[in-house]
Amino acid sequence: MFQLFRKNRMWRARPLKSRYRVVIIGGGVHGLSTAYYLTKLGVKDIAVFDKGYLGGGASARTTAIIRSNYLTPEGIPFFDQSVKLYEGLAKELNFNLLFNQMGRLDLGHTDAAVYALRMRTEFNRILGVDSRMIGPAEIKRLVPSMTLREGLPYPIIGALYHPPCGVIRHDAVVWGFGRGADRGGAELHPFTAVTAIDRANGRVTGVETGRGRVEAEIVLNATAGWSSDVARLAGVDLPLTTHPLQAMVTEPLKPFLDKTISSANLHAYVYQTDRGEVVIGGGVDPYPSYSMRSALLPMEQLAGHTLEMFPCLSNVKVLRQWAGLCDMTPDYAPIMGAVDGLDGFILSCGWGSWGFKAAPAAGRNIAALIATGNTPDIIKPFALSRFHQGRLVNERAAAPAAAIH
Amino acid sequence: MPSSNNPGQSRLEPQPGETIDRAAPVEFRFDGRPVRAFRGDTVASALYAGGTRVFSRSFKYHRPRGLLCCAGNCPNCLVTVDGEPNVRACVRPVEPGLRVRSQNAWPSLRLDLLSLLDRLHWLMPVGFYYKALHRPKALWLLARRLIRRVGGLGSIDINAAHHTEFSSRSLHADVAVVGGGPAGMAAALAAAETGAAVTLIDDQPSLGGHLRYTRLQAVNPRQAGNPKDELAAAVANAPNIHALNDATAFGLYQDNLLAVHTPGGLVRVRAKQVVLATGVQETPLLFDNNDLPGIMLTSAARRLASLYGIRPGREAVLAISGNPAATAEAYQTALELLDAGIRITAIVDASDGASGEAAQALRDRGVTILTGHRIARAVGRGRLKAAVAAPVGSTGYADGRRIRCDLLCMSGPLYPMDALLQQMGVSQPGVTLAGCATGVSGATGLDEATRQGRDAGLRAANPAPNPAPLPEPLPAPPAPMPAGKGGRAYVCFCEDVSAHDIAQAIDEGFADVQTLKRYTTVTMGPCQGKMCGRALSAICAARRPLSSAEWETKDRPEVSGGGDLFTTSRPPWRPVPLAVLAGRERMPLKRTPMDRIHRQLGATMVESGPWLRPHNYGSPADECAAVRQRVGIIDVGTLGKLEALGIGAPQLLDRIYTHRFSDLPAGRIRYGLMTSDNGVILDDGTVTRLAADRYFITTTSGNADVIEEWFNQWNAGGDNCAHIVNVTAAYGAVNVAGPKARETLAKLTAIDLSPDKFRYMRSARGEVAGVPSLLLRIGFVGETGWELHFPAEYGEYMWNAIMEAGREFGISPFGLEAQRILRLEKGHVIVGQDTDAVSTPLDVGSEWAVRFDKADFIGRGGLSIAAARPAQQRLVGFIMPPSTAGSRIVPEDGTPVVSGGRPIGRVTSARISPTLGRGFGLAWVPPHLAEEGASIQVLIDHRPVSATVTLQPVYDPQGLRLRS
Repeated sequence: MFQLFRKNRMWRARPLKSRYRVVIIGGGVHGLSTAYYLTKLGVKDIAVFDKGYLGGGASARTTAIIRSNYLTPEGIPFFDQSVKLYEGLAKELNFNLLFNQMGRLDLGHTDAAVYALRMRTEFNRILGVDSRMIGPAEIKRLVPSMTLREGLPYPIIGALYHPPCGVIRHDAVVWGFGRGADRGGAELHPFTAVTAIDRANGRVTGVETGRGRVEAEIVLNATAGWSSDVARLAGVDLPLTTHPLQAMVTEPLKPFLDKTISSANLHAYVYQTDRGEVVIGGGVDPYPSYSMRSALLPMEQLAGHTLEMFPCLSNVKVLRQWAGLCDMTPDYAPIMGAVDGLDGFILSCGWGSWGFKAAPAAGRNIAALIATGNTPDIIKPFALSRFHQGRLVNERAAAPAAAIH
Repeated sequence: MPSSNNPGQSRLEPQPGETIDRAAPVEFRFDGRPVRAFRGDTVASALYAGGTRVFSRSFKYHRPRGLLCCAGNCPNCLVTVDGEPNVRACVRPVEPGLRVRSQNAWPSLRLDLLSLLDRLHWLMPVGFYYKALHRPKALWLLARRLIRRVGGLGSIDINAAHHTEFSSRSLHADVAVVGGGPAGMAAALAAAETGAAVTLIDDQPSLGGHLRYTRLQAVNPRQAGNPKDELAAAVANAPNIHALNDATAFGLYQDNLLAVHTPGGLVRVRAKQVVLATGVQETPLLFDNNDLPGIMLTSAARRLASLYGIRPGREAVLAISGNPAATAEAYQTALELLDAGIRITAIVDASDGASGEAAQALRDRGVTILTGHRIARAVGRGRLKAAVAAPVGSTGYADGRRIRCDLLCMSGPLYPMDALLQQMGVSQPGVTLAGCATGVSGATGLDEATRQGRDAGLRAANPAPNPAPLPEPLPAPPAPMPAGKGGRAYVCFCEDVSAHDIAQAIDEGFADVQTLKRYTTVTMGPCQGKMCGRALSAICAARRPLSSAEWETKDRPEVSGGGDLFTTSRPPWRPVPLAVLAGRERMPLKRTPMDRIHRQLGATMVESGPWLRPHNYGSPADECAAVRQRVGIIDVGTLGKLEALGIGAPQLLDRIYTHRFSDLPAGRIRYGLMTSDNGVILDDGTVTRLAADRYFITTTSGNADVIEEWFNQWNAGGDNCAHIVNVTAAYGAVNVAGPKARETLAKLTAIDLSPDKFRYMRSARGEVAGVPSLLLRIGFVGETGWELHFPAEYGEYMWNAIMEAGREFGISPFGLEAQRILRLEKGHVIVGQDTDAVSTPLDVGSEWAVRFDKADFIGRGGLSIAAARPAQQRLVGFIMPPSTAGSRIVPEDGTPVVSGGRPIGRVTSARISPTLGRGFGLAWVPPHLAEEGASIQVLIDHRPVSATVTLQPVYDPQGLRLRS
């Protein structure tokens, strides 16, 4: 309680040194999470660089849904580990992340959708994740404010109920990791863009920044939106296309909804924050773009689809819309790990629309890789080399409904 | 607190520009009690006239809040009107019988027990919730439940229905002008004079902008008449100006697309040029208790007096602490209020000397002007009683002077309302500013504003090839930090964030404006920064250099700053209801032309995408038997149907599909698969060549629109002469299949259907039952059969004719379920059911449909790579062991295939095979198990059961029946 009245600095600004053991490009949730777990493993000679403010990229734009009801035997255990880390993270970081494990319903409106949901449920159960199929009566009981669309197109005929799903205060996660990393000895350098990655003899040797050159043994690309550009600085091609994802938020309302609702058929997901706002998001825009400006048509469509589920929100006003960038991989799974042929260059990219929920697990495992040189088994399936070896991880059915890519 | 029902209690004598009709009383209810108003009042003006001073309770501390902006910008007058939450009462016109309720107060607005939180505010410093309540976890679970109970503002009725009265429309303009003030009207007129088509968008009920509630015409001696009325009349008389009143341009998007919220719905205005004449906006001053009811912006007091003839207070103090333009406005306001009969107790001016005609006139009329002073704090509980003025520079209240008042008008800095411009970034081509939005003062510069407006209008009508870049946004003026600690000097009225809170957050390290915003939540509330954004930036800019000296460590940072000057401006500029954005219902239920017959036959209907289709007519097993042994008919009108036309159509199809279609002879049919550029299957269907330049294409049900877009996306921009037409709704379709299909159809058509004349994968056009039809000999279910496409209006007739013809052969309708079983026996894949986001044609055994020996096609790259490496998974058939007594051994669709308890694959489709009498289906398995006779384990009721892999269709593997 006493810390309430203490004026503690979250992190310190420090002069730039000429060399670090580890340079992390990207001061978002992934970069800071990795820095934090590295300091816990005793690796403290770290600099985190971000071209903007801390947590200002995808971490600032996420709708912050934490869940593990994925589809593949590779993805489910990984995201499950992340959910479990999130559950203990507020205590670990001594920072209230306002985690609200409200539970989530993935709606099925057609036989085909119910089939896909059942498939996920079965795979979740077999791998120990709490997911179950429920019918319309149970759906109505859990979410009385939603219409079941009886007699209308896309009636709600079933749902995948995933109780551990939660919503978190995303900025707090960034700040908590940032503070933890800073206290552990890592240096945070916001407003410091990395402009080049130096290489010699098949390994990285350092980076050029807006504030000068620094040497480094290890360079981690933990960026989003422009991660393929950053990788290209090291001569590494990533199989990514970058698409905007539109989201919006309404004015605060008294509580009426305490589940996260997602509909792949209607291309929309909806939840109510603890402050009362309704957060609405959709699938990624169909065309690749680096633009984070908002667009009108997706907002119109999102509004329509929201009312198809929640007609009671007709009079509710949208306060703000925004867009974030999603680095989409061909198989809707992330890219983590070392890069063949370039020692010291580590990737944590391709986080599409599934990045925020993975940050603790990704950070912890990448930190272990950097500290020990060995890739933990749980992230082995996500190596860049899978695209060259034809070992894709098919997570598309578990990602938000996406248009043609 | 007086709560009179007399609408005239606080009314002034009739004002020259007032919008109320004093002869037309209107009555509505506020929190259950009747309120009398005049037509032309807003909900807020009527309540204010009746004595209401507290309009809402604040979000966090439940502090009483009164009118602040009277312009629809701030959160202070949010009420619920007829069940609509969070309505800004100050801009909602009264209507008879409205039921208005206050929000966020319990049990009542006047006695809100949650205002206890205000007494405990010291327990809730900025960001307190991040620092507390999380240990132990049980405490957080409890606290979260409490927070969730008290959060939010207005409430909704969860049983309310969707309003569909809004419809969206699109307009085009040469020049779109946003803002109907003098500059905007002048711009519209100037552009229109050159012949441009102009759309003028104004968010007020009538044109005039600030001239509606100010008396500038009296200030400017050269204007003989009333400039507002003259300009408005000229606009009304200009034939090529389309004026939208009550229309709020809330978004400026890529390529000059303006989103406009009008009473009828959303209007999208695409303009070659946009002129933003959106004016300026006042913001509050910072002093302790600056949120007491009775404290408002000078423009708010002006609006109340001029538009609604209301006495905003009896004893007024004006606090002036802004740029020179704002100061001139403030003195002008003081004169107007004085003229209207309101006593001005004092004018507190932070500047050293008040000059100008208005100031002199005020002095002459005995008004005290305290120069070099500013308001240090306001006094009162729930209502303003007095203001304390202290010399500028004093840090406390000790030398303050207490001035009694019930109205305190704040004249803070004026800021251009350039949010639309900021949404796009300042370098947007084709967008210019005019009038006060450029920083020109309205009070001193009416002529200047209209001149600028005219210039902007002319420039927009005849844009220069290389227009000069727009000026950078005005930097924030020095932070008007409050005296003392500022713990009760609210920067953010939406979220109850004080100047002290912001300073503390900066000290904690949230030193750039974006991080500061996220930590303090300033600008994140209902006003979205309209009242607080510039103050936040100003405080941030002023404190940041100091904070670096306060670092805990001895390290001196070389660089600690950086970042944006302002938080990001995002649409909508004003909140827009979801129903307005949504427009009309987008999902009409699609029914095929034979829908009525299916219902008469007692079909169980099932949703298939946007369609309703018969799932079965009673017994899928009987329906299967009819098709295998006799003849069946199924409605396949849900198939997507496209026509590809033009001499470039063959090239387009060769590019989109993996197969080749340029060499397909007319009259032939070929199976078509299309993939994304990484080789993943998107859709399949048949392609029939009708003529050299014409193809008929089917897509999977419900996918027609997406595939049409896909074609158009790849066809756009090139010089290939091809067109895609979606004819899905134009044609009805049935599939007639079974050993007696030929005999059935032969009774209805003169086309020779004999096996050697009408062979498999051929098409013909001709009459069937007198209806012009396209006949395709294909066989999804594995029997002799024809897919018939015919004009949709003949749907019922055609169905009945075929049923009648087939009666002697025992024809039976069959539904989706029977079709699924029958096709599964043939091993035919359903895209989306049996394939997923990584399935290539190679994985599902459709290599034969991929032609690497043709020119480039979409997916070639991905498929070339896939072909060169071993497959990850294969789609295979499997057969279950025979059913045991009482238990059907068949897995559900989606069941995992396991090995040693770990999932290694999955079942995509499984049914009981009528042919085999046991469970069977399709499954993805690792390549080493994709062999005839291999054993796999599938989960049934969470227990593994063995099944045998087969690579052959279980029915008619050679396709003899299909071709017969």
